[in-house]
Amino acid sequence: MGAQLPEAEPHVATSALTLAPAAGEPIERRRGWLRSLDVVVPGAVLAFLLFLFFIWPLIGPVGRPTGGNILNANIEPWSSGHILGTDPVGNDIWSRILYGGRSSIEIALTVQLIGLVLGGSVGAFAGYWGGALDLVLMRVLDVLIAFPALVIALAIAQSLGPSEFHTILALSFFSVPAFARISRAATLRLRERTFILASRLSGTSSPRVLLRHVAPNILPQLVTFGLLGMGVIIILEGALSFFGLGIPPPDPSWGNMIFDGQGILSAEPRLVLVPSVFLFVTVLSFNLLGDALRSRWSAL
Amino acid sequence: MLVPVRERGEPLSTNGDEPLLQARNVVQEFVVRGRGGVKGGVVQAVSDVSIDVRAGETLGIVGETGSGKSTLARSLLQAPRPKSGSVTLRGTELVGLRGKALLEARRSMQMVFQDPFGSLDPKWQVRDIVEEPLVAYGVGSRDERRARVREVLDRVGLDADVFARRRPRQLSGGQAQRVAIARALTLDPALIVCDEAVSSLDVLIQAQVLNLFEQLRDELGLSYLFIAHDLALVKQVSDRVAVMYLGKLAEIGPAEALYRQPMHPYTVALLASIPSPDPNAPKGKAEAAISGDPPSPIDPPSGCRFRTRCPRAQERCAVEEPPLRELGTDHAVACHFPVGSSDRIPAIAGAR
Amino acid sequence: MSDGATQPVEVDARVEDAASGGALLELRDLRVDFRTAGGRVRAVDRLSYSVASGRTLAVIGESGSGKTVSSRAVMGLLPPTATVSGSIRFDGRELVGLSDRQMRRLRGAGVAMVFQDPSRSLNPTMRVGAQVIEAVRTHLDLDRGAARKRAVELLALVRLPLPEQRYHEYPHQLSGGMRQRVVIAIALASKPKLLIADEATTALDVTTQAQIMELLRDLQRQLGMALIMISHDLGLAASFADEVVVMYAGRAVEQAPTGKLFAHVRMPYTQALLEAIPRVERPPHARLPVVPGRPPDLAALPPGCPFEPRCPNRRDLCRESDPPFAEGEPGHRWACWFPCASEASP
Repeated sequence: MGAQLPEAEPHVATSALTLAPAAGEPIERRRGWLRSLDVVVPGAVLAFLLFLFFIWPLIGPVGRPTGGNILNANIEPWSSGHILGTDPVGNDIWSRILYGGRSSIEIALTVQLIGLVLGGSVGAFAGYWGGALDLVLMRVLDVLIAFPALVIALAIAQSLGPSEFHTILALSFFSVPAFARISRAATLRLRERTFILASRLSGTSSPRVLLRHVAPNILPQLVTFGLLGMGVIIILEGALSFFGLGIPPPDPSWGNMIFDGQGILSAEPRLVLVPSVFLFVTVLSFNLLGDALRSRWSAL
Repeated sequence: MLVPVRERGEPLSTNGDEPLLQARNVVQEFVVRGRGGVKGGVVQAVSDVSIDVRAGETLGIVGETGSGKSTLARSLLQAPRPKSGSVTLRGTELVGLRGKALLEARRSMQMVFQDPFGSLDPKWQVRDIVEEPLVAYGVGSRDERRARVREVLDRVGLDADVFARRRPRQLSGGQAQRVAIARALTLDPALIVCDEAVSSLDVLIQAQVLNLFEQLRDELGLSYLFIAHDLALVKQVSDRVAVMYLGKLAEIGPAEALYRQPMHPYTVALLASIPSPDPNAPKGKAEAAISGDPPSPIDPPSGCRFRTRCPRAQERCAVEEPPLRELGTDHAVACHFPVGSSDRIPAIAGAR
Repeated sequence: MSDGATQPVEVDARVEDAASGGALLELRDLRVDFRTAGGRVRAVDRLSYSVASGRTLAVIGESGSGKTVSSRAVMGLLPPTATVSGSIRFDGRELVGLSDRQMRRLRGAGVAMVFQDPSRSLNPTMRVGAQVIEAVRTHLDLDRGAARKRAVELLALVRLPLPEQRYHEYPHQLSGGMRQRVVIAIALASKPKLLIADEATTALDVTTQAQIMELLRDLQRQLGMALIMISHDLGLAASFADEVVVMYAGRAVEQAPTGKLFAHVRMPYTQALLEAIPRVERPPHARLPVVPGRPPDLAALPPGCPFEPRCPNRRDLCRESDPPFAEGEPGHRWACWFPCASEASP
């Protein structure tokens, strides 16, 4: 039959179940808390972790993560002053976990924010305007994405030297193209929607359409993508630190803690286990939260 | 300065008898990309269509899928620009214009779409949606704009206090379409293009919205370009009706005349397909007078595009494309062998 | 009007059965409740109707009327949040309470359904022929060769032009009308006794709509099937149905053989529907008689008649008390305290 013009849209047979409101009453109905368990549980865990990493060290009895006395090395957990004991150099593990967690999340958050703003914008421009701009931008991003993330991050960190700032830079190299891809796809889908055309016909300029119509509508997708990516970034940062290219010692990172602990894994497994468990729980919570939000928001 | 709402009565007149909207030889094509982005063919969506919308009239356009009616409407609005041809709104040529100039010239023409929810940004509140054209054109102060929004919402039968802050998902289909209509009214347009504007609504709501269109027409002197595939619907709202087939105008004329004495075989077939809500009409006559499916708009038949399905087709139809000729009062048809009064017209259910 | 080659007319033994009457499908007091976030919603309330072999019943209603939900109940296609009570007897067999497995066997073998949007009913990645064969082999025990032959026969039966060629094509290569024919062919693969067409022509062009409706009607005659057409279009019902049931807010509000219904409409809602249909006979710019308001919130139905807030005939009684669905005239039932009295003119 060959290609055809898109058929006239069919009569929209709305769901047989119309919860049509009485006059004045909004259609939305609030769900009971129980129905939001998939959001509430990981959300609560994350909230707790964030409190632990960012607020607790400021108000609670948390020791210093560095500058430990070698005489205090390898103290057992549940000793006074050291809930999780100390590491071979004498640092308190509990405080290292907390400060390490703070670094990890700070870095991951920053990287994702950079990705969302920069990558999201680039992708939206490419998707909205198309044409040559799209072609060029996308080919550049394709090249970036083609390289394995870890390799690129390692190379950049290696050449710049280990530091928190450089880690952020290296990891942004990875997140920006990823967001751009998502943003572009979402924008392309959105562009076909009638309200974009209606807005243009109303006289709204393209930049304004991008800002007021495209951005708010692709944001939920980008945010969930960001949340789901938090886990990846945290692990990447961990890997970088593990290779000595992330957070420079003596500052703690879960990655370099694992590195330090691997040598005496059989003797003191907790040095590897504890940061691993925290890593696991944090990443899992971000993933679960991101997933729950995505299934909610994609229905809208 | 806010443009005041016109008083009841007179449609905005143009110079003398010049039509409000004049389209000449409009052509619109789309490139179809095959696999791998290779150009697969060109869809000739609108081919050399010339049509007028007169001040104060409702012009209906009917056609089936692939007829090009929606594409024509969007081309008239320059969204996107037609490939060639001329479109004049109140004497100003639109096709060559860009940017601000186009915006100014196009101000008097607005559009209402088929999907009431699709045409509203789900994240925006009703009042912002309706206010948008005013903001875009920099009309009035914030208070003046808000007042205008209230006024316009009132005109479409929506209580501003109740609806202004709602979002589209808190509206029913009929309410959403009213919001879309309100938005179209804010700039006080002369012409509103309705692209299947009621087709997605339930029957009773559809009737309400149609009445609203008529009411606005009376109160504001609006002209409409009403596109639909429902023939009875179009006839009910239109002064004149144009029938399109595969990108070309088949017939155009006064609504009553066209339906009573259709001249183009395609129009005849369309009218015969209308199911009549009168069970006493002979059941057998609801027979489809047309066979097969429409050919592809990428490779339309030579000569008259309808000839492959036309019961009256002759050799000439394959060779020579029929021009649009005026055969009755204000009634034109593009056919070499139009159905004339001398012919025996088969009994058509519902066309009486 | 035939589209080309003649196809063997399939005369089924059931054609003779049709003449002997007896309901093939009988709904009695069907109720369907949904468990939703907002509470329990009754989507279908005390619905009763019957269809005999060879006859066509039109179920007419707007959004939220329950017409689709009730047909899904017959097919057993409701989500787990739905509770069905009452009786659905098909070919003498009670359907309410059957397990999923039992329903699946019944589906297609006795009852088949055609939906609104053919593009959604067909798998875009499978060739047309493969999809028809799949249906054939699910219900009939045939080897590859025989199944293929049967598939082509079915495509020809639904008057698909060039069935041999279309067999190898993908759905996107066919027009909307052709796709819907394929969907019908798939539905017929199992030789159903009852075919339910849920807004089957709504998404199609008006000329195609006419062709498909006629096809359905001819097939019905040929195969002795019962046909239930679900629609919002009373005009379509008038042309093609033997009997009409009008639904509103989940219940039947009027029911009669087509001729009787249109000759003398009783329920004001039906009257409103009739008057709201665009008519070619009306002069341009005619104002339609409209009924204000919107369909009610199924989760918060008032105690009396659900149509009361919008009804031109309403009185106090209507608000207080739900009118019974009763046979006011032989063969003609309605649920209204103050029905339209005068002879209605379409």
